[in-house]
Amino acid sequence: MQGQSLTSEQDESERFDLLIEAGRGEKNYWRDLWRYRELFYFLAWRDILVRYKQTVIGIAWALVRPFLTMLIFTFIFSRVAKLPAPGSIPYPLLVFAAMLPWQFFSTALAEASNSLIGNANLIAKVYFPRLIVPAGSVITSFVDFLITLGLMAVMMAWYGFLPDWRLLTLPLFVILAFGSSFGAGLWLCALNVRYRDFRYIVPFIVQFGLYISPIGFSSSIVPEGLRLIYACNPMVGVIDGFRWALLRGQSPLEIRGLIASTIVASILCLTGVWYFRRTEKTFADII
Amino acid sequence: MSDVIIRAEGVGKKYRISHQLERQSRISLFSNSTKNEDFWALKDISFEVRHGDALGIIGRNGAGKSTLLKILSRITEPTMGRVSIRGRVASLLEVGTGFHPELTGRENIYLNASILGMSRAEIRKKFDEIVAFAEIDQFLDTPVKRYSSGMYVRLAFSVAAHLEPEILIVDEVLAVGDVAFQRKCMDYMKSLARRGTTILLVSHDLFAVKTMCRRALVLAAGGLQFDGSAVEGIDFYEKDSLLEADPWAAGIIGEDIDQWPIVIRSVELLNAEGSPRTVYDYGERMRARISYEARRPVKYPNFYFGIRRSDNVVCCGYSASRDGVTIPSLDQSGVIELLTLPLRLVSDLYSTYAVVWDHEFKQLYCGQIGPNFHVRDEVLNQHFGVFHVPGEWRWGVNSGGKRVAATPSKENK
Repeated sequence: MQGQSLTSEQDESERFDLLIEAGRGEKNYWRDLWRYRELFYFLAWRDILVRYKQTVIGIAWALVRPFLTMLIFTFIFSRVAKLPAPGSIPYPLLVFAAMLPWQFFSTALAEASNSLIGNANLIAKVYFPRLIVPAGSVITSFVDFLITLGLMAVMMAWYGFLPDWRLLTLPLFVILAFGSSFGAGLWLCALNVRYRDFRYIVPFIVQFGLYISPIGFSSSIVPEGLRLIYACNPMVGVIDGFRWALLRGQSPLEIRGLIASTIVASILCLTGVWYFRRTEKTFADII
Repeated sequence: MSDVIIRAEGVGKKYRISHQLERQSRISLFSNSTKNEDFWALKDISFEVRHGDALGIIGRNGAGKSTLLKILSRITEPTMGRVSIRGRVASLLEVGTGFHPELTGRENIYLNASILGMSRAEIRKKFDEIVAFAEIDQFLDTPVKRYSSGMYVRLAFSVAAHLEPEILIVDEVLAVGDVAFQRKCMDYMKSLARRGTTILLVSHDLFAVKTMCRRALVLAAGGLQFDGSAVEGIDFYEKDSLLEADPWAAGIIGEDIDQWPIVIRSVELLNAEGSPRTVYDYGERMRARISYEARRPVKYPNFYFGIRRSDNVVCCGYSASRDGVTIPSLDQSGVIELLTLPLRLVSDLYSTYAVVWDHEFKQLYCGQIGPNFHVRDEVLNQHFGVFHVPGEWRWGVNSGGKRVAATPSKENK
């Protein structure tokens, strides 16, 4: 009896391409994600196109925001609070090297967490792997990041502070930043679908993070004993890594802290995907 | 083997009502909305669709049609049962899903087509066809927020129409756009069907279902009530839907139709000679036969028969007491018949409703929704207004004043 039902099941799946059933369709998921890669591209393309429509200075906003923040932070932390910069690093470079990943992380997080709600009509009317939506937001923020990176290059040339071989390790830290923002973004956007409270929590996280991450200052001013706990904020590892890779290693990189940050980012990413996949099926019903 | 390409087996979908409440109002932190009321939007639906079928799905609002389409197009998961599908499915649950108002027509074609599942290469190949079908070539680089609603809909449908899927699922999209474009869409869907595309169409427009589909499913309250030929399905649906309370009347007299003093058992639409009709030519007379049942004695009932256009514009109403018929009292079942003057309504879909007032229009006894009908005319459509009556024209050069007859031959047939 058991065997019989098994073979008929096999017949079914051979004849039909698609079985829709409660809790099924899992095995198609990653294949679908690949099949829908063009949609992923188009959504990111749309967001980039739309982003600066009807603005006067357009994409220059991607430069103005971090640049102004950098000026203010330099003024407050270097001139007013008189915090030291490690080695011979000009303070503006110290701040801007941190602004780069932070800006990427915070925009990606904010955009990703609102992405599902912002695309509610798509979610309710069309099928596609939902993972595409928050992933697209992260990619869009990455484009801004690349533009800001150009500004960093200009500033480094201006100060005559050119990077060395360590620059080649930068992509690793970019991946770490990607992982952190994607993981956190997945959690927040999935939670946001059901609990709109997160619409208010996310700006708070971003604002809060700006001060607890080592952006206006070097993480070396954090007391020795607290560093490892501090590094559980994955952005600490990312920012330290960015400074180390961009600024000729004059800003120290603690391996233990980096490992802690990497572990936290990986956990965030894996559980983010897990939670997203678990709740994804109900998005259309509750959004 | 068999050419079944969609097989649904015991499909059911349960919603939990409390989630909805939770989502709507979370004002109070301590709100006790913990009662989980289960609601089955679909129950035990089984059917098969064969390759090349054109299947109409009809039912009232809330019958589960859209839920069924959402399950078939994988937007939501069934709670029970399963569906097996063979072939590429394209579902069109809304016109212009994912259109972005800031983007141009050209950009939106790419975006929308990719959302609907077309690859970039396919879009590029079909691009010119899409633009030509939508008739928007000179606005291709204008943001769609500047489009008129007609252009918007044309562009949106045009993208969807060029999908060429094996299975096309369509929900109510033909209800938009002007009549000429609607016809174009219908023709296009028919041509898809001829080329072997399987079509599932949900529509309130029974006329569209009748012309498009050979087969129909009738859903009611989440259950499958009928599965068979489209003509029989529509009859079944219309018979079943006769007793539906008009929401407006239900708001006054109460939802429970059984408590009303008088109810309409059926409204039959006939031609002047007395044979049933669903389509009338412009200028034809309509005979409406209303069967009623008085549960309690009703004083001076005033029967009223109204006609509403598909977009809910009330077009005309006939009142028995206004037309000089006085009935002192009613206390049992009976039939009342109305013969209209030639209908001057323009071609469109109309719904009917039958209401019983007292003779002073002060007290409402009942109000129910009757069957739908179409008015057909080659020329007269909504551009002529709600109705069209012939006029007398005079034409001449300057002071001349030469009379031209108003071609009554066509109008008075």
